[in-house]
Amino acid sequence: MLVGIKNASKLIGISIISCCAVLVCTMFLNFYLDVRSIKNEISSELSMIFYHAQVSTVKVVCLVSGGCLLLTSIVMLMFYIKHYIDTHKKELGILKALGYSNLKIAKSFWIFGSSALIGTAIGFGGAFLLMPRFYALQNKDKMLPEITIHFHPAILLYFVILPTLFFAMLSIGYAWIKLHTPVLLLLRDSLQITSKPPRHKGNRNSGLSFIEELKRNTLKSKKTLVFFIIFASFCFSSMTQMSLSMKDLSSEMMGAMMLIIGLTLAFTTLFLAVTTVIKGNTKTIAMMRVFGYSQKECCRAILGGYRPISYIGFLIGTVYQYALLRITVDLVFKDVEGIPAYRFDVPRMFISLLAFIVIYEILMFAYAGKIKKISVKEIMIE
Amino acid sequence: MIKARDIIKSYGNRESRFQVLQGISLEITDGDFVVILGASGSGKSTFLNVLSGLERPDSGKVLYDETDISSLPDDKVTSFRKENVGFIFQQYYLLPNMDVDKNVRMGADLAGNKDYRNIIEAVGLGEKLHKYPGELSGGEQQRVSIARALAKRPRVLFLDEPTGALDERTGRQVLDYICRLKDTYGFTIVMVTHNLNIAEMANTVIRMNSGKIADIYQNKAQKTAYEIGW
Repeated sequence: MLVGIKNASKLIGISIISCCAVLVCTMFLNFYLDVRSIKNEISSELSMIFYHAQVSTVKVVCLVSGGCLLLTSIVMLMFYIKHYIDTHKKELGILKALGYSNLKIAKSFWIFGSSALIGTAIGFGGAFLLMPRFYALQNKDKMLPEITIHFHPAILLYFVILPTLFFAMLSIGYAWIKLHTPVLLLLRDSLQITSKPPRHKGNRNSGLSFIEELKRNTLKSKKTLVFFIIFASFCFSSMTQMSLSMKDLSSEMMGAMMLIIGLTLAFTTLFLAVTTVIKGNTKTIAMMRVFGYSQKECCRAILGGYRPISYIGFLIGTVYQYALLRITVDLVFKDVEGIPAYRFDVPRMFISLLAFIVIYEILMFAYAGKIKKISVKEIMIE
Repeated sequence: MIKARDIIKSYGNRESRFQVLQGISLEITDGDFVVILGASGSGKSTFLNVLSGLERPDSGKVLYDETDISSLPDDKVTSFRKENVGFIFQQYYLLPNMDVDKNVRMGADLAGNKDYRNIIEAVGLGEKLHKYPGELSGGEQQRVSIARALAKRPRVLFLDEPTGALDERTGRQVLDYICRLKDTYGFTIVMVTHNLNIAEMANTVIRMNSGKIADIYQNKAQKTAYEIGW
């Protein structure tokens, strides 16, 4: 098989993201379906308001979390397939030269769908493990009648089986599109310069130093990675701040869950993005070292450009969590008593920002160590 | 003056250890044009890498004047390369997303060279300053890599099969540019090649065989790139 399970295992990022998405959505949707079945048993007006608030929360959470994470998983999958094709041009070119059709090669990419299967299955199972505690917390004031946990096969279909099939089909389809490249172009070594000049042409007389130019170029050449860095810091910012607010608005369990999911998503995405940046620039780093650029200069050129991007992600995350909580409190829970007024929490934002800066800089320091380990001999390995 | 003293270099693990360089010693005077010849596997590229500070020998010394670069820590060797040596490889290794000007700046910035465009002019690429590597021919790309190496004003220029990927006409042109720039800037050249004819352009020719120097001789007269056979 051209693409094996070993290659698919590198898509652990998708497994983690889909696990988080399915865990949250399964818990809320299962709760929604179970609470809907007891609607007729609700007698008081207050309970009905609470019921409607819970239903609205489920819709908001499933749409926002599920939609956002699904979109990120799709971007990540497409990015990885493109990256895989770019780094295996020679092998793919040989197969095409031997007479394999694009579709025949693309079919072997179905295995990437397994990353979604693993993630969604774990998320689905995990949701059922957490469900008893989640149900109890959702109805801790006993405003609704007793809610029993039921297994809904439709959720298994929509959150595990269909996403797996969708991801497998998407992998085949996207690979098929990307394989529409002339054989000779694929056969050329990935490092050799193709006849195609870059799509983005920089400022001709910018007067910037080489390091600054390379920093800009690294950012421009892989826009998907910029998205991932923004997403990682967005997840960190929004989820940490929301989890701190959850203590007042909902429960400690919800807060802890959000924090774990947020940090997992942030670290997974950041790890994927920075590793790809370094791997994609190994030869450039080696060449810089050959010429005599110091390790610090190499790090500044390759990783330095992502720092301001990550702060933008943090800012977007801060605005997002504020807007989401504001909407939830002001619209969804407007008729429910006992929900405290929500205001933007400046001290919590600063705690989150400080944690973000410390963790980001520690990670970059660790990755600088990886850059240091890149041998100048990389330039001689062909 | 570059001095190599009893250089030994091996690759592989204990069972399949292979000694690529078997105790090489030689001296290269400043401003010399040295060509290292040898068949594939003779150790000529490894020797070039050791001489230039890209690789450390297992034993022996590489002295630039009185500084032994083989005993310097990594950051000092990097700093040494920054200040003293330039490289030209067979595969060019230009940065595809940067135009000619910016690729050459990679070398120029290290030496604080503000007049680097003179070198681009000297290699005949003044008109192609803002072309990207993908828009250039193989010979033009190699000329960019020459300009990039020389823009950092090296004392020694190391070349590993610089014409290996070029046709005869372009190869001669590239060698001619290198020789003319050597006359202008006065740097030392150490070039590895398997093309025997190129040896006629050098002052000193070193023939390597099985990790040892088989022969060293001086050419009484050097030919130009257009006088040698191919």
